[in-house]
Amino acid sequence: MRTRSELDDTDIAVKSKEGQIEVFLPIVKHSHGRSLVSLEVQTRQEPNGVMVVAPTGRLDVTGAPALKEALSELGKDGQQPRVVIDMEGVSFVDSTGLGSVIAVLKQLRTKQGELRLAAPNQQVRVVLELTTLDRVFPYYATLEEALAGF
Amino acid sequence: MGRLRDFTGRRADDRALTQLETALGEVGANVLTHGSPPGGFFPVAYSLTIENDAVIAMFTDSGPPVHNHLARPMPAPTSEQGRGLAMARMLLDELGYQRDGDTNRWRLVKRL
Repeated sequence: MRTRSELDDTDIAVKSKEGQIEVFLPIVKHSHGRSLVSLEVQTRQEPNGVMVVAPTGRLDVTGAPALKEALSELGKDGQQPRVVIDMEGVSFVDSTGLGSVIAVLKQLRTKQGELRLAAPNQQVRVVLELTTLDRVFPYYATLEEALAGF
Repeated sequence: MGRLRDFTGRRADDRALTQLETALGEVGANVLTHGSPPGGFFPVAYSLTIENDAVIAMFTDSGPPVHNHLARPMPAPTSEQGRGLAMARMLLDELGYQRDGDTNRWRLVKRL
């Protein structure tokens, strides 16, 4: 087994024995000095005025700022914004990512806006239910369902 | 996690592995964010072991002690932060923590 000082930036050391696997990830090397952005965010306006926000990637501690940034201008035109976050492209969400969605929701509510989540995968649903935030964010199985009647 | 799924033969949407991945992300983010003393930068160690039907992950960092954060309940729905360790505690079968000198030692156990 190598020590952590022997690992480089891309190293993943695996030592398998019978019924045992050991993995060392040099995660510390990833915490500074390189880009960690894990989320791309696209936005578009539906004909009925609903804004659809489609993040792709990991909505985690590194990706959350991109979501906040993409929605930072919402409601500044005096409109009551209606937003659907299409989660289909989100592979993973963590507590910081959840925090960014809550921040968006609070921002929208100050403008009497509304927020819906669409198409969360299993991991996202697990996290929403665990934190009871599924009671705060109504989520829909598909984007079409989220847009219907919004 | 892909490697772990391959090794265990679990499906991509296996609930226990999904819960483990989420908990690892929470504790890992906490360790990376707070795992160095003020003004310094110290390495973080991480290992993952499978023993019988359980995955055991260990983190070691050099940050300040976190006893006060471990038992925090899940915050109110409008809170934008403070959920990470509460989530990890609920997702795992065991979330162990030990302060050893200037080192934090974390032990995460998830039965598959």
